[in-house]
Amino acid sequence: MPALAKDPAQQIAELRPMLLRIAQLQLRNHTWAEDAVSETIVAAVEGLPGFDAKSQIRTWVVGILKHKIIDQFRRRSREIQIEAQDQVAEPDALEQLFDDSGHRVSAPLDWGDPESHLERSEFFAILQACIDQLPAPLGRIFLLREWLDLDTEQICKEMKVTSTNCFVMLYRARLRLRECLDMNWFGVQGKGQNG
Amino acid sequence: MARLIIDCRQAHWLLSRERDAPLRWSERLALRLHLRVCDWCSIVQRNFAFLSQAVRRLDR
Repeated sequence: MPALAKDPAQQIAELRPMLLRIAQLQLRNHTWAEDAVSETIVAAVEGLPGFDAKSQIRTWVVGILKHKIIDQFRRRSREIQIEAQDQVAEPDALEQLFDDSGHRVSAPLDWGDPESHLERSEFFAILQACIDQLPAPLGRIFLLREWLDLDTEQICKEMKVTSTNCFVMLYRARLRLRECLDMNWFGVQGKGQNG
Repeated sequence: MARLIIDCRQAHWLLSRERDAPLRWSERLALRLHLRVCDWCSIVQRNFAFLSQAVRRLDR
């Protein structure tokens, strides 16, 4: 007898750990992340009658989570705004990458053909750890831009920061992540520590 | 008008900014000129592109 297809509500519930991991990474606050995920699961279960069975439940639920995360940003905008302003005011440690004339003091690692790393779960664990190490405002803004795919105008509005501060934070986040992956993934691949 | 000869610090900044908003023509030109002679910044440009690609797959 063929196995019965899993109950869609059960499938949604099973996505909870992944949803919570992403929401926590994006929102940097466990309570806000729990709220966003609970609201996502409720909305998904209630929306099941209208769900197009040809689509993937996972993709559909992640789409709902993205909206719920933006809702959380709107609700918490005051706290997020203050943290973001403090972050921009801090001097950036990555200035040490450049000498007084503005040139890099050392070569960045050439990651070669990095697409093959996208198939490895260990790579994503390191990427996630690197994002997690970013100061909260940098992590939030980076994921709003690169994961939620919001344009900078929307991000400035949601986080209530100027466009210049937005660009500065995105720049710092990218540089830090690049360095972190150099040090913790691509830099150790040839030494056999991860691969 | 932006200067046409830029250093790596300015190039890194423009490489990040161009991923978020269109650069002015003079900034684009200065960046392209820099990338023609600087392999290190070209590597960073590819790294930034890969980061975007990787982050989009975080939920998979």
